[in-house]
Amino acid sequence: MSAWLTDDIFDPIRIPLDDWFSDAINWLTANYRPAFQSLKVPIEFILDGVNGVLQWLPPIAFIVLVGFLAWRWAGWRIAAFTVAALVLIGMVGLWSLTMVTLSMVTASVLVCLILGLPLGILAARSDRFQAFLRPVLDVMQTTPAFVYLVPVVMLFSIGTVAGVIATIIFALPPLIRLTDLGLRQVPEDVIEAAEAFGSSEREVLFKVRLPLALPTIMAGVNQTIMLALSMVVIAALIGAGGLGRPVVEGLNALRIGQAGIGGLAIVLVAIVLDRLTQALGEGSRAGRGG
Amino acid sequence: MIRVESLHKVFGPKPDEALRLLAEGRSKDEIREATGDVIGVQDVSFELKPGEFFVIMGLSGSGKSTLLRCINRLIAPTSGKVWLQTEEGEVDVAQVGPAELRRLRQDHLAMVFQRFGLLPHRSVRDNVAYGLEVQRVGRAERLRRADETLEMVGLGGWGDVLPSALSGGMQQRVGLARAIATGAKVLLMDEPFSALDPLIKVQMQDEMIRLQRQLGRTILFITHDLDEALRLGDRIAIMDDGRFVQVGAPEKIVTEPRTPYVADFVAHADPTGVITAGTVAVPPDHERVDVLRHEPGARVIAHRTQADVEIEVADDGRVLGMRADGASVELVPLDTLLEEETPTSRYRDRAAVLRVDRTLRGLLAARNLCNLPALVVDEQERLVGLVTEREIIHAIIEKRGHDGDTNGVTA
Repeated sequence: MSAWLTDDIFDPIRIPLDDWFSDAINWLTANYRPAFQSLKVPIEFILDGVNGVLQWLPPIAFIVLVGFLAWRWAGWRIAAFTVAALVLIGMVGLWSLTMVTLSMVTASVLVCLILGLPLGILAARSDRFQAFLRPVLDVMQTTPAFVYLVPVVMLFSIGTVAGVIATIIFALPPLIRLTDLGLRQVPEDVIEAAEAFGSSEREVLFKVRLPLALPTIMAGVNQTIMLALSMVVIAALIGAGGLGRPVVEGLNALRIGQAGIGGLAIVLVAIVLDRLTQALGEGSRAGRGG
Repeated sequence: MIRVESLHKVFGPKPDEALRLLAEGRSKDEIREATGDVIGVQDVSFELKPGEFFVIMGLSGSGKSTLLRCINRLIAPTSGKVWLQTEEGEVDVAQVGPAELRRLRQDHLAMVFQRFGLLPHRSVRDNVAYGLEVQRVGRAERLRRADETLEMVGLGGWGDVLPSALSGGMQQRVGLARAIATGAKVLLMDEPFSALDPLIKVQMQDEMIRLQRQLGRTILFITHDLDEALRLGDRIAIMDDGRFVQVGAPEKIVTEPRTPYVADFVAHADPTGVITAGTVAVPPDHERVDVLRHEPGARVIAHRTQADVEIEVADDGRVLGMRADGASVELVPLDTLLEEETPTSRYRDRAAVLRVDRTLRGLLAARNLCNLPALVVDEQERLVGLVTEREIIHAIIEKRGHDGDTNGVTA
């Protein structure tokens, strides 16, 4: 076969992009590792705080509290499911790991909110910033998790905090996108009315735009939580704790049962978190009227 | 209260260039060709007196909404001045800095919107209190004033519901209350009733007339509905293609349209609430009125089409009496006749007397009750003129007064 019809044609002009990539990461690691390591401090602080509370709380108290909130926000059906799911998790011996997973999700989502809301607000205000942000978010969202786990390990080393950082990168985009979208969708006539009465830009943002964008922002929060949960499990590959660990270990050692109950607990937590945050989103929509 | 001087608004990339070409007398099409600019408002000047109800009437695209938004600078004028009377003297809204502009909007220039512009997540009360909230009025005080204003627009007791629970007409009452509650002396109203059903629209117009009588604000009101303009306005400006083509009292607009464009509009307007009896009446010295004979200190006249109805008028203009078919006729003020029961057949022994400022509608009512000429008098009860069927029909069809003074442009 002629060389023109095979990929041999590219042989003389190979670009060593893989080398450049590893060079870049190595250079970052060699020169800026301490800077990246220091980023872990605030995340570790939040994570330890949340985990401390969740591990300290007696399971019964936690179940009652979450069951009550579920009842208030989402009705008795979802409350009953929530309680049953938590009891089941406790009875298969995964309570403590579940609490670790929940703390990781909570910590990542908190950081996502702290970063994502302002970035979303900026993106809604400036078309240029939005145009700059969009490809960055695309990369964050579509790069397979396994690909950027390696640089994360090199820059932040392994462990739960590194796992949370990987999770934040993965879960942040929908919150920014939907905050941006929600703010841009606020009807122009309502904003004009607020301006006509002499509102400052700040007042327009806090009294008009954000409240009206809230249902969309809540949809973003819901997505971020779900993405965070899925990533927290994968993060077990780089030594993060929580429910991912029995799954990864179970697969490695072919202990199907252990991996199975780990997977089951993850699914239960996911359903509970999804229903609760969706119910909260619905609540903000109902308050807004038609 | 507000004095607008030579206001221009140019939309597009080269507004200064466009203004220069405009000053050279180029047409809008030429300017668009040369610069890509569109002239939204062209050289508009007018003055609003305190307490005046000024209506700007025009079709969509005439620039009326743009002009209104230039007053509170939701749209920045390209050139010209917008003088606003405040306690500290006149300020040019077009020139003030952002903080001062916010203050002027808060305290002086409240606005009502075609699509209401209510905050859907806030209760009706909190919507009405919004203007006070940005004025930094304390919570208790602003809610009290909001409730007061809601009461005023007939929505007392609706404060707790969300706007979405209200009908369109009620939502616009909320919009109106929000504007009134700020205490602003000037209300800018951008087609506030255009989105409402016809019946509700008329109700709201009545409500507006009532409120304005009570509050005496200075109102700049935009509409594309000439009948609405005629009902509400103390003065009306007809706007076309970014310019004022005619400004005047409603009756003047209807009876003396200055351009074919205005005449075209007026042709479809209902004149009965606008044209006044004083305009319609044939004066005693008109050729259509014959002097039958002179008596000491008085003369006896008759309308040529009803020569059998004799009217005796004193030299000082007061009406002394009327005789029809040789019998004496009782002269009764129109309002008295209206209060009584409608007769089965029209009176031949009673005639209606109306003041000059009554409209054609009053004349029609009089005609419906009495088969005799109606007498139109001024404040001193002096005869201004006679109105027979002929004048009424002429006024409705031609939208003009009696045919003695034909000076407007006919459609």
